[in-house]
Amino acid sequence: MFKSLFSRFRETPEGGGTERASAAAAPQAGGTQRFLSPDVLSRITSLELLARTVVEGFISGLHRSPFTGFSTEFAEYRQYMPGDDLRYLDWKLLGRTDRYYIKKYRADTNAQCHILLDASASMRYTTTGITKLQYAQFLGSALAYLANKQQDAVGLIAFDQEVRTHVPALSRSGHMRTIFGRLGQIEAGNETNLSKMLHQAAERITRRGIIVVLSDFYDEPEPLINALQHLRFKGNDVIVFQVLDRNEVDFEFTEPVLLEDAETEEQIHVLPDILGDGYRSTMQEHITQLRDGCARNKIDYELLTTDKPLDHALFSFLAKRARQ
Amino acid sequence: MSFLNPLFLLGLGAIAAPIIVHLVRRTKAPRVEFPSLMFVRRVPQRTIRRRQFTNLLLLLMRCLAFLLLVLAFVRPYFGSGQANDAEKERATVILFDDSFSLRFNNRFDQAKKRAATLLDEMRSGERAALVTFGQGFEVQTRLTADRGQLKSSLERLQPGAGGTDYAQALRAAEGLFKDVGAREKRIVLISDFQAIGRNQAEASYRLSRDIKLATIDLGEENTPNLAIADVSLQPLIYQAKYADKLSARIVNYSDEARTGVRVELQLNDHMVEKREIKIDPREATTVEFTGFNLNEGVNRGVIVVEGDNFPYDNKFNFTLRRVQQMKALAIETAGRGRSESFYLRSALTTGENLPFTLDVKTTGTANPNELAQYRVILINDAAVPPALAQSLIKFVEGGGGLILSAGPHTESAAFNQAFQPLPLAKLEEPVQLRGESVSMSDIKTDHPVFEVFRQSGRLSAAHVFGYHRATPNEKAAVIARYDDGSPALIEATHGSGKVLLFTSTFDSSWNDLPLTPTYLPFVRQMARHLGERRERAWNPQGQVFTVAAATDGTPPAVDAPSGERITERKQTPSGELIINAREPGFYRLRYPDASDFAAVNLDSRESDLTRLNVEEFVAGVTGADPKAAAANAAQEKLNSEELEARERWWLWLLLGALFLFVAEAVLARRMKMAKVIG
Repeated sequence: MFKSLFSRFRETPEGGGTERASAAAAPQAGGTQRFLSPDVLSRITSLELLARTVVEGFISGLHRSPFTGFSTEFAEYRQYMPGDDLRYLDWKLLGRTDRYYIKKYRADTNAQCHILLDASASMRYTTTGITKLQYAQFLGSALAYLANKQQDAVGLIAFDQEVRTHVPALSRSGHMRTIFGRLGQIEAGNETNLSKMLHQAAERITRRGIIVVLSDFYDEPEPLINALQHLRFKGNDVIVFQVLDRNEVDFEFTEPVLLEDAETEEQIHVLPDILGDGYRSTMQEHITQLRDGCARNKIDYELLTTDKPLDHALFSFLAKRARQ
Repeated sequence: MSFLNPLFLLGLGAIAAPIIVHLVRRTKAPRVEFPSLMFVRRVPQRTIRRRQFTNLLLLLMRCLAFLLLVLAFVRPYFGSGQANDAEKERATVILFDDSFSLRFNNRFDQAKKRAATLLDEMRSGERAALVTFGQGFEVQTRLTADRGQLKSSLERLQPGAGGTDYAQALRAAEGLFKDVGAREKRIVLISDFQAIGRNQAEASYRLSRDIKLATIDLGEENTPNLAIADVSLQPLIYQAKYADKLSARIVNYSDEARTGVRVELQLNDHMVEKREIKIDPREATTVEFTGFNLNEGVNRGVIVVEGDNFPYDNKFNFTLRRVQQMKALAIETAGRGRSESFYLRSALTTGENLPFTLDVKTTGTANPNELAQYRVILINDAAVPPALAQSLIKFVEGGGGLILSAGPHTESAAFNQAFQPLPLAKLEEPVQLRGESVSMSDIKTDHPVFEVFRQSGRLSAAHVFGYHRATPNEKAAVIARYDDGSPALIEATHGSGKVLLFTSTFDSSWNDLPLTPTYLPFVRQMARHLGERRERAWNPQGQVFTVAAATDGTPPAVDAPSGERITERKQTPSGELIINAREPGFYRLRYPDASDFAAVNLDSRESDLTRLNVEEFVAGVTGADPKAAAANAAQEKLNSEELEARERWWLWLLLGALFLFVAEAVLARRMKMAKVIG
């Protein structure tokens, strides 16, 4: 995933990808100075402050970033094509040269960014002290802040069996406080049908933009991919963050346990020694199917465990935003 | 199947441990909330029933492992058919030699270890008895299957101080088998097998055919030893200097000559004299000591030999008593010329260390009231007046010694009348042999008077020309007769005293006895026999001896050589205290006004550590051919090896238990369900 991101950075006109590559490598080496761990972030009660802390810290480390022209800065000219908005036609150039060029500013793409947050009961799970929902909230707030910084309109949809919270995407000032406030109030709810809720979201979001899906994706891969395809089909760039606890991936139980499904309350006696391998392979198969399905539909997929710094998610988001 | 250590079966209770742990520690698995079970459900899970079965399997493995462990300690063995039953019904008598030779070279401890091993190897249900023996025997534990009791008895055993007598011990063991219904009866003889232990007088003794004899031999070849076989001495001394010879006989019980052997005489814990001697192999050397001074009263003497590795038998204890001379009175017929008691006086008053001083009086001068001061009175062919006779009879009744001689001055009728109360003899007519003589040929050499003539027999050399016939009283004993069968010397007891009647004369009128060398010892022995207290310089270990009571009749308090006060207070009818001489050394006799000592010595025969041919001995006792006995011994050994092989089940059981424990650990680790879910 990082490799694909890096290669994408190198392709940018400013050619600042080399610096990003070294910056991205930092979390591997000694990222505690650079990146704030979720554990530290969990002590910040205000989501706004948290988002600012993450994003400002993240941006300040970018140096000559390829994303500096995202605001209202001139980006490039391109030849006018029928259908282009005439507002972007460079009339002065047309007057001088009699040629039709479109003046492209990156900052005024004015994209919409929707954050779809799974708030089902399964997101309540934690073994590290930070629930998946909390992690998703941190990530969502950071992404919202980042998007807002780039003048994008940010919207929020949180759901379990039904839509619990819907904040339409706006870019006006003060909107972010609404986002952060609503985001902070979300608590893990009931059972969910993720595919169904994604379909609903696809129908709700009328204007295309970036859709960030934050969920543990406990559903069958096929309906999930279909739902994501639905979002994609609507013209959205979809970024999928599968948020899992480390124990869900590695299944690190050592003693026999009686597992209770957080959503259905079904119980099963489990022998970790016997079940562990099977579970891990099944989980990996599920992740692989998701990742492959996303790749086929040009959906960015990122697997995040709650012990990872948020920066990975931000890179993925920025890369996607850069394509807008 | 039988067990060597059935007590360990109590350990089967340990099987309850895993069961209790299983029941108590059936903890439930903790309930943990998990985001979704959709992937868990896809993995095939073992059913709870399967897990319960696994648990049960683990429990069974643990129980079985404990069972095997306990069985390994119980040491089972497997016999076959009747032989097995016979083993169950076997009865064993352990004959444990506790003679003092077992003190040599730590043999006693070895014997105890071997006996303990024997007890450990007892079959389940087998009964055993423990009998210690030396010169005698003592049943420590009768036949019992209680191994703890037997071991406790064994632990308490201490080495003894006695000799060895195998025949007596075997008889005792055989006696224990009476009324015992065991199919197999076995005697295990644990000993050092000294040759002296085989009593030749009992050489024909045979064990019953149904009794087997096994041996545990602790003896070694070539065990040199020095010992004091005997000490001869005069225990009563009447003067300061010991003029007689004190002879110690030192024996070299080895095949090599011993030089530089130090022999030491100690008196009252002080060294008096030391000698160095050489003793040839298997020979004895006599060392003589004389001319040393003695204290008044009792003196403790010890002969000590140095120069071997077994010091226990290198001491010989004895007592020497220096006492006042006794007074003797000779009463004769008044007459002219030489006293008729001339020869008597010469015999009793000549020489050194004389026990007596002799007064000679006539029947007229003898004062009946002064007789009590004398120990012995000799009536030397005198016609005794009735009053004097009465006094003499009372004198005898009071414990005095009276010697009567009947010669030409003695009238039978008057004599018989005067001494009628004495149960002595009826004196008859005198016999005068003209030109002929008789001799005292028929003498009882075991009597103290004649014991000195036991070897020489010279008394018969004296000629007797005249004597009185006498018819002895039925209570009297004739201890010497003439050739014609007439009594020569008759002894009777009256009251506390004794009387001797010599039917001839003490002078040369009726015999030439005074002219022969036998006269002096004859007369002195008679006087000593009646007047002198019988004194023993030492007593043999293992026998009883008596000590006199105090003047008021109370017996003394007695301390054993170890210092332990003897509490047994058995007395003879005459009031003497009977002491069982269990240990060598000096027994201290505490009288109210003084102390006395009695010496006790080991049986010196036991010092000869020469070994017996065990095979021949066993063959002789069991009546089997020696070669057959040797073959049987080999067979017995084979059987032991076979038995040992059979008993090796414990090893396999232990390995089985170990395997089960390892398998259980592996399985439990694999399942992780050992403590979960019922």
